[in-house]
Parts: sequence; structure tokens; C-alpha cells
Amino acid sequence: MKIKEVPQDGAILESTAVRDVCYALDEDGTYKEVLSVGWSPKNEAIQFAWSAINEESAKIRQEVMEGKLSPLAYHLSRLVMTPRILADYTGFSTRKIKKFCRPELFAGLNYEVLEKLAGALNISVEQLRSID
Amino acid sequence: MQLNFEHKTAGHCENGVVRNLLKYYEVDLSEPMILGLGSGLFFSHMPFYKMHGMPITSFRPLPGAIFSSVTRRLRVKIKRYKFSNPDKAMAKLDEILFREIPVGLLVGVYNLPYFPKEYRFHFNAHNICVIGKEGDEYIVSDPVVIQKCRLSSADLKTVRYAQGTYPPRGRMYHISSIKRLRPVDEQMVRKAILKTCNRMLHIPLPMFGVKGIAYLATRMRNWVAMYGERGAALNLAQVIRMLEEIGTGGAGFRFMYAAFLQEAGEFLGKPALRDLSLELTAIGDLWRDFSYHAARFFKKREGEVASYDQVADKLMKISQREKEVFTRLEKIMKSE
Repeated sequence: MKIKEVPQDGAILESTAVRDVCYALDEDGTYKEVLSVGWSPKNEAIQFAWSAINEESAKIRQEVMEGKLSPLAYHLSRLVMTPRILADYTGFSTRKIKKFCRPELFAGLNYEVLEKLAGALNISVEQLRSID
Repeated sequence: MQLNFEHKTAGHCENGVVRNLLKYYEVDLSEPMILGLGSGLFFSHMPFYKMHGMPITSFRPLPGAIFSSVTRRLRVKIKRYKFSNPDKAMAKLDEILFREIPVGLLVGVYNLPYFPKEYRFHFNAHNICVIGKEGDEYIVSDPVVIQKCRLSSADLKTVRYAQGTYPPRGRMYHISSIKRLRPVDEQMVRKAILKTCNRMLHIPLPMFGVKGIAYLATRMRNWVAMYGERGAALNLAQVIRMLEEIGTGGAGFRFMYAAFLQEAGEFLGKPALRDLSLELTAIGDLWRDFSYHAARFFKKREGEVASYDQVADKLMKISQREKEVFTRLEKIMKSE
């Protein structure tokens, strides 16, 4: 890759201070570091991974509206969390977190538990209770 | 307080932290040299180990391996810590920092506030360096960010205690002594290159090195049958991300290693390494060509049809070419 071929396809990084450092050849054929804001195939790969996550969340959101799952299940999916990882953050067992994904059990949770779950997900209790 | 620490960006966080730490102690090495000395180029495809439900494909050795090899070769002494108690982990960090020692930390990126939201996956082997503290805020040098950043102590604690695969558990490290420092010499560079060649050529398992690339190609031909159209595309996207996402300098370290070969060629007075560097650059371009074609499976461009056989063929060619390069490299390093 030559310096002038280093891609600058902004889609994900340009609004942040994060950059890719690329190694590319200058006109004398010597390697130099060049900053890049991204490359389309990579950006598309990341966006595709997210589109799969978003589709899955939309499906779960539907099930929450149908009363089959609790809002927690939706937030887990949307935030790429797993019951296992949330269990590690909160100290609840994985089995308990899975139980909290059932609407009837979720409805009975006290504020303290909700606060703990919301805190670990970095959202407010109001957000945790809703699916907006 | 803030240490007089030069923050420099790098392609890969681990290389960047090692280089910046060494620089603080006036040992000045380039990122490609760190990668080379750390034998940081590799390939593995392990269908049995999964992350987010997908096989792991990696273009580098295990996290931490580059750091260990470089410091061992240079005989730089490192002190490492791990804490079960987060408050103790923070207190110890302050204690060392106030002795004017920059501290490297292992953190998870999921809750890292300055990362783009698209990058917030449960990846727990990111390296940053703490270089100062003002009030409740830490001043942080993260090699993938163009300037120094600030993190509140609460945020820093969260990322040091990220959960998921391989949780960092407050791991941190710093250089404790450079008294026995050995400047880079011919022997060191030669050994590091041979180790890379050895890993790329001679591991007797199909998942690793140049054989691993061919193995991935073979598996890829069956992906649609195994995972369905969408699952296959997701797997392919995962490979592209490992190749190009922050940290590889482009094409899964191939360009960065080519830069190293160029530098090593000059250092050892072996012009043949410059030719091999160009050859590896050409291979890097082939990897990029692979990514470009692979991207059409998840982003349809007009009038294009693609098959997994087509992209797998590209990988087979890359495997062959890398085999040639590393075989030649090994021969040159073993001669005289």
C-alpha cells in the first residue's frame, strides 16, 4: 500500500479522537506511518455486525410488547450484554438474570435490584423499565 | 500531577504502550521494531474457540505476548500486579504513579467513554497507560487515540474491572528497572525473526501459521452449508474486523511487519530483507483485496455476484505466498 492509497473513509471514527495508524510506502519505497479515519470494507463489516444485533433486538422488543419477555431481555440484547456478563457485573447468578428476563418476575423486582441492574447496564431505572 | 511522558499513536495498543513506556526511560524504538522483536505477526483460525458465537480468527499471538518477548529480549525488568479488590487496585496505581512511574493497564473497551459506540464490544485486552492525575481525573495515554485523554476514577475503575472473556481484574504493569538493558543487536533481531518464521511455518497443527490460512479457506467453502447465508456473512465480517479493526496497521499486521523487515534489513546490512519487505507488502495488498471482495457479502454493490469459493481461492493464494516469504526469510536468517 502506498501513502496516497491509504483509505480515508470516515463512517465510525471521524467523530471521535480514535484513529487507525496505517503503514504505507512513500515515493522512495520507505515505510511511513499514516493516520486513517477508516476503510469502507472494515466499516461495512462493523455496521453489518451491528445490523444483526439491531435486528435481534427488534425481535426481542416485539416479544416484550407481546408480554413474552421483560424489558431487561431487550436491553441485554441492545447493549450486547449476555446474562453471564451481567451476572458478573452485578453479583447475581446467571440463572437469576435469566429469570429477570421473564415479565412476571421482572414486575416483582424491588427498586434496589432494578437500580443494581440498571447501574451495571449504565442506564437509568426508568430506561430499564421501558423499551424506548 | 502529570509525568513528562511523550504520547505517540500506534497501530496496535500493546506495541504502543510498550514503545511509549520504553521511550519514557529513553529507549527509543519504532512500533515496527517492537512488533518484530516481539514476534507479533501470526495467524490462527480456531473454530473451537468462540467469541460472540463465532470462531476466533487472529493475526497476532496471544495478548501480552509481544510485551513479554520485547521486554525479555531487551532485559527490561517489569513488575506486574493483579488485584481482587478494586479499591486496592486504584490505591496501588496512585502510589506508583506518584513515584513518577507511568503505569500500563489492561482494560475492557466496553465502557471506555472515548471509544466510538460501534467499538463497544466485550474485548478485554486493551492496553492504556496512566501518566498523571488531577483531582479525581486520570490522564491517560491510549495509543489508538490522537491526544492524551482523561478518565474519571469511577470510569477507570469500571474498565479495569470489565467482565466477560478474560476479565482484566485490575491488571497493571510498569518498568521496574532498566539497569540490565541490552541495546538491540543483530542476534536479538535474528532470533525474533526466526521465532516468527517458526510460528508461521512449523507448528504441526492445521490451525496455525500459513497452514491456518489455508485451513480457514477450506472451512470458508462450507460456511453457507454450516451457518446459512447470513451466518456465513457474519463470520466473514468477523474475519475482516480482525484483519482491519484498530490495531493492525492494515492487513492484519502484514504492512507493519513489512516496515519492520525494511528497518531490520538496514540494521543487519542485509538488502535481501528489503526485497522480502516488498513481497510482504504485496501480500498485504492481497489481504486488502480479499477484504474488499469479501465486503460484498454484507454490502451489496451493484451488478456483483460473489461466491465463498472465490474469496477462499484468494486466501489459498495468500497462504502460498506467505509460505514462500517466510521460508526465504528463514533461510536468510539461518545462513552465516
